[in-house]
Amino acid sequence: MRAVVSQPREANVLLALLVGLAACVATGTPFGLLAPFAALLLYAGGTATRIVNGALAVAAGVLALAAGLAPPDIAHRALDWAAFCAVAFAVGRTIAIQAGRSPLGRPAIATRIIEAMPAHAWSADPGGRFTYVSPNTLDYLGAPVADLAPLPGSDEFGWRRVVHPEDYGRVIEAWRHSLATGDPYDTEHRLRRHDGIYRWFRNAGLAERDREGRIVGWHGTTIDIDDQKRAEAALVEREREMSRLVDLVPSHLWRLAPDGEPIFFNRRMANFLGFDVGTMSNPGLDRLDRLAAAVHPDDQAAFRRTLGWSLHAGEPFALRYRLRRADGAYHWMSSRAEPLTDEGGRIVQWYGLCLDIDDQVRAQDEARRRERELAQLVDMVPGLLWRLDPDGRPVFFSKRMVEYFGDDVEAFDLPGKAGVGASATAHVHPDDLPRVIETLDRCLTTGEGFALNHRLRRADGVYRWMSVRAEPLRDESGAITQWYGLCHDIDDQLRIEETLRERERALWQLVETLPAMIVCADPAGEPVYRSERLRTYLGFGVETLDGAGETRLNRTLDAAIHPDDRAAVKEHYARCLATGEPYLRKHRLRRFDGEYRWVETRAAPMRGESGDIVQWNLICLDIDGEVRAREELRLAHDRLTRASHAASLAELSASIAHEVNQPLAAVVANSHACHRWLSAAPPNLERAKTTAERIIRDANAAADVVGRIRALFRQSAETRDLVAPADVITEARELMAEEATRRRIRLLVEIATDVPPACVDRVQIQQVLVNLIRNGMDAVEAPKSERAIRIEARRMDDAIRIAVSDCGGGILSPEKIFEPFFTTKDQGMGMGLAICRSIVEAHGGRLWAEANAPRGATFVFTLPVSAAVAP
Amino acid sequence: MSGPDFIVYVVDDDMRIREALEELLASHGMRTVAFASAGAFIEAEKPDAAACLILDVELPDINGLDLQRRIAAGEHPPIVFITGHGDIPSSVRAIKEGAVDFLTKPFSDADLIGAVETAVDLDRAHRAARADQAALRRRYDDLTPREREVLPLVVSGLLNKQAAAELGISEVTLQIHRRNVMSKMAAASLADLVRIAQRLEIPITHSRRPSGDVS
Repeated sequence: MRAVVSQPREANVLLALLVGLAACVATGTPFGLLAPFAALLLYAGGTATRIVNGALAVAAGVLALAAGLAPPDIAHRALDWAAFCAVAFAVGRTIAIQAGRSPLGRPAIATRIIEAMPAHAWSADPGGRFTYVSPNTLDYLGAPVADLAPLPGSDEFGWRRVVHPEDYGRVIEAWRHSLATGDPYDTEHRLRRHDGIYRWFRNAGLAERDREGRIVGWHGTTIDIDDQKRAEAALVEREREMSRLVDLVPSHLWRLAPDGEPIFFNRRMANFLGFDVGTMSNPGLDRLDRLAAAVHPDDQAAFRRTLGWSLHAGEPFALRYRLRRADGAYHWMSSRAEPLTDEGGRIVQWYGLCLDIDDQVRAQDEARRRERELAQLVDMVPGLLWRLDPDGRPVFFSKRMVEYFGDDVEAFDLPGKAGVGASATAHVHPDDLPRVIETLDRCLTTGEGFALNHRLRRADGVYRWMSVRAEPLRDESGAITQWYGLCHDIDDQLRIEETLRERERALWQLVETLPAMIVCADPAGEPVYRSERLRTYLGFGVETLDGAGETRLNRTLDAAIHPDDRAAVKEHYARCLATGEPYLRKHRLRRFDGEYRWVETRAAPMRGESGDIVQWNLICLDIDGEVRAREELRLAHDRLTRASHAASLAELSASIAHEVNQPLAAVVANSHACHRWLSAAPPNLERAKTTAERIIRDANAAADVVGRIRALFRQSAETRDLVAPADVITEARELMAEEATRRRIRLLVEIATDVPPACVDRVQIQQVLVNLIRNGMDAVEAPKSERAIRIEARRMDDAIRIAVSDCGGGILSPEKIFEPFFTTKDQGMGMGLAICRSIVEAHGGRLWAEANAPRGATFVFTLPVSAAVAP
Repeated sequence: MSGPDFIVYVVDDDMRIREALEELLASHGMRTVAFASAGAFIEAEKPDAAACLILDVELPDINGLDLQRRIAAGEHPPIVFITGHGDIPSSVRAIKEGAVDFLTKPFSDADLIGAVETAVDLDRAHRAARADQAALRRRYDDLTPREREVLPLVVSGLLNKQAAAELGISEVTLQIHRRNVMSKMAAASLADLVRIAQRLEIPITHSRRPSGDVS
């Protein structure tokens, strides 16, 4: 292609040179030189042309001037040369102008320039077919230009093969678009190098148009932008990473404008705050206010002040404050900001970093709190704490210990054992000192723990017993780093223990010397302790009877309780154990020598704090003498009762006698007086009359007394209550129970359920019942009698019928017995039944006796059903 | 009938008994003063005359037997008890304490009057004895101190010489004192003086025998 352009031009220059020389020779004038000159200029071109032109113009001017001044012969020749120079100048100018005006004028240079450029150039016709492709392109592609031509039989271009398949569609579309519209063509795409590697290129082309605006061709360049492309991609990638980094660093990053306006928050910060720079209401300093508003109210003033100062002075900003999270929780933040300045020192931006140190602050707070608590604990522990270094130098005494010693503990800050030794000498009781020093020495030497009870002097000079313990703290290698010690005041405890021991001994002595037998039993009743007195009594100890099968309790009961009492005792004791009720029972207990003696056993549960029974405590008193004495006493009492019964009757009769005798005595005395007044001479009738009147009066008084006595047994209804007969009968039976037991007579009570209450004088009816029961008891003393009294109560129409029956000797005259002073007994006034009848009749009832078959008697009395409750 | 020279006191809480007794005793011509209670009797002014006290055992303020014991120390009329219901222990006690009789109501006219008369006679005797005694006591009070020293020695039977030695005085002086004692005490003889000394309960302090013989 180069040959095509350069060969004719050099030939032309040579031809013009030859022609010019020929003309010059022929004419004898220099004008012939014009042709070769022109040819040379054409060939040279550029700067050379301009210099030559300049020289020609100057030469023409100088020659013309010389022609004017010189003699005519010379002038003529100079004028020729001046003309020649002028013509040559004109030709040179023309060539120069021509060369500047026409591109085609310098194709060789253009081509050279194009081909030397670090780019690929091309030209194409309006149809898009390449008319020129720079050789470096073809070198790059490793393909002849023909390969780029359109493919025969299709509208596809041959360069399809070298464009990256991914880019081809886009490229061809743009190319076709440009061809169709004439718009500049500009794409970036990959081109395959001859070795098969694709590189990025920028391909740009412009349409060339003629004067009418028709597209005459396309020219373009293809520039290798592969490195650029890669750098750009790398940059993008790095920026993305950067951005991710900014967003992902576990801190808040922010940027402020020089005036303080927030212009960037990283995502974490935005998430934390719940708003971002972009979403803040107004640009400008409002945003800073908004940010400041998120600071804890307590920290806000400091935040504003510090930040304000930093912004004002350009000093770095550093502050800890609490920042409100989107959910309202405040977190401690450690915030720093540094200004970025330009070369002139002006602040361009503030870059800030904000670390969430909430956990840290809290941890610190917690740690401080713990430390404070620990310190407090050390001071509050009710003991004296101290620390020694491994050699025995006191390093620390707790506050309490300092207070306890009361002196200057600094004095013991001596190296090695001297320190602790001095402290010991100063405070330990002299009697304890040797063993304390000895133990201390041994512990410090061997590293074994220190444990000793000794006396320690208090500030007031009082020695108190302390339990002193110290243990070494060892590091990983086992070497002792510290000794930790504790003095615990056990003085009170020792005293209490001593007192307790004393008290326990006293209690034990008390228990053992009490004139009673004492047993302790577990909650199930198993004996766990017996006092010496009881062991001696029984002749066996707690464990003596232990064996397989039976429980200790049962064995003891079987061995010691009288057979007649055993079942009742077991039953009662078992019931108390089950219910927790106190136990009280009298029974016979076998002594070691086989004699059964009466004892009274009392047991009460001892309960724990929860109320559960933890132990049963039993006391067993020998009441044998008492029981016998009481039996005798009861007999005596019984005799006494009978005697007093008799005495009271005597008293009653005495009282009756007095009441009657008093008027009788008056009557008798008056009668004698009257008799004497009448017998006197002369008879004193006046006084006799007076005395006679008195006799009448006093005799009537005596009659009144008798009437009153009768009325004694006719009680008024004033003391009557509504009483259930069952209650009265039960009470009467209880009154007689002891006597019945003693006389071995059973009292059988049978009360119908429908017996209504009656309005009676409770005591009188009781007296009636007691009287009838006692009569019955006396009756069954007769031989061959069944020793039982039956008391029955039932309803009979409008009356309650109460019967007391026996199977005794019976009665011969059922009516006569109710007469006063009738008695069948040796000691009796014969008033009992008479009074009973009068009481019953006073109540509106009847009392009678019936003979029983085959023997015995029944006394029956009725009481009217109270009108108030009668149906 | 010149009226009785004695008074019968009646203490009984029963008005009928008081009336009847007053009437009965009046019919026997006796002077009677009746009281409803022991307190009233003790408080009352009593004339200096022979008397008798008819006392009911059952009194509202104090028991008749207790009253008897309370007045036993002083001079009081002999007591005749009357009671509505006499029991043996009370009657025994009353008699032991010096009661004249213990009558159970109702009592007969004769028993009461008999008892009253016995009591009055007893009181008269008591009063006479008390009057003699008072006279003796007055005479004894007239003795000089030295004469009162001499009297026991003389009635002990000591010889004048012994008695004089005892008192450290001359026999002559003793004889003067002795004569004065005899005359002041209105004793006719030594035997009379001894009897008077006995009634005055003057102890016999000396034996005639020398103390050395007693062994």
